[in-house]
Amino acid sequence: MLDTVRKIAKGLLGQGTMDGVLGLAVGDGGVSPRLFEDPGDLGSLSLASKWPLAKIAVTVLGQCPDAYRLAVVCRGCDERALIELGKRNRIDTRRLHVIGVACSGEQAERCLCQQPWPSRVDAGVRAQGADLSGNDQVRQYLDSDRGVRLEKWREAFSRCIKCYGCRNACPVCNCSPCRLEDGLWVNRGEIAPDMFSFHLTRAMHVADACVACGACQDACPVGIPLMLLQLPMRAELHRSYQYEAGTESERHSPLLSNYIDEPAGGISIPDWTDSLRKNHGS
Amino acid sequence: MTVHSDPGIVQNRRDSEHGPKILVFACRWCAGIGADGAGRQRLPLPADFRVIAVECASRIDPDTVLKSFSEGVDGVAILGCHLDGCRYNRANHATAKRMALLSTLLESVGIGADRLLTSFGTAHEGHQFADLMRRFYERLQGMPQQCRFETDPQAVSGGGVDHA
Repeated sequence: MLDTVRKIAKGLLGQGTMDGVLGLAVGDGGVSPRLFEDPGDLGSLSLASKWPLAKIAVTVLGQCPDAYRLAVVCRGCDERALIELGKRNRIDTRRLHVIGVACSGEQAERCLCQQPWPSRVDAGVRAQGADLSGNDQVRQYLDSDRGVRLEKWREAFSRCIKCYGCRNACPVCNCSPCRLEDGLWVNRGEIAPDMFSFHLTRAMHVADACVACGACQDACPVGIPLMLLQLPMRAELHRSYQYEAGTESERHSPLLSNYIDEPAGGISIPDWTDSLRKNHGS
Repeated sequence: MTVHSDPGIVQNRRDSEHGPKILVFACRWCAGIGADGAGRQRLPLPADFRVIAVECASRIDPDTVLKSFSEGVDGVAILGCHLDGCRYNRANHATAKRMALLSTLLESVGIGADRLLTSFGTAHEGHQFADLMRRFYERLQGMPQQCRFETDPQAVSGGGVDHA
């Protein structure tokens, strides 16, 4: 699989179709992102550990001249993130070329990924998506009683050291200024930060853009299961609007439009008058 | 209708044995007029709520609701005009959508989707507003009281959150 990617990258760079290939490279300190520009210098290319490259692609394209064409070694989540960023005008997807790499079954299980492949697979074989029903963590944090759930989440959030790793690692999270740094909304100097104003606010901000890449959870130094925070909302968006972030490059988030343009559950104006009577998704 | 921006109001009532604290965001049009009408008609309804008037319910984003919960409010109500009657070009649809998503999040974390009430169409129907407040109040009475700053170390370890 690595050789296939190397060959493709070499071809793209050698023929001059692409100016650079963004991928991971093995170096002295381990594996880190690297922009390859020399077709003969692809020896250190690696696919080893998963790290979403979408945000780095934004930085690279931002610093390169306008005519620069960039190829990115993308997993499924990378490509979805790039599409979401393209929709939000953070990146011009026409300057990008995707070298698609499918993830293995084990990787999908680790990431709780339902779709561990990009739309175009150049290397690797499509594996089956993860089965969430058997997952212990999912059951404890999302399927148990309300009181048990609250305790588990509160305990998890009490470990937070406010490193902003989740926000920094998230590929679709790039507002400036970021509201989580605003003293009016999130109290300064408070560790662990308040669950509502920090974690739940962040979860809501990325709710309709989350591509389930798991970067937030990977980045968290204290092991808060942040991916599980987004899963119910993603399921709700899928159930109500058949919308999954990162899959359609022309369709914007359903939250941005009204019920006539984006009906929920097939009903153009729901007839509920108050949510006390309406059944909310759990 | 008065606008309460003083955080002391919520803080002072924290230690009293009064019922759940409800913060109501009502749009200036149908919802606010209905709420006002309920008061003017002296309809019986629980008094432990405060109303913040906004131009349109869509002014309220999930951050505001979450900040309210963080400050110790037990229940938040977002009231707007009928779903086909917003004078700001169906902005209440956006409210409905985002509050529905927020309530999914609140339910999954264990706070409870019941704490967030979204209601449309409390127009010149003061009795509807009163009925809504009564039902919301009853629903919240069965739920544990919110403490300010849920991740306060004392709250987590000493179990000081559950006053139910």
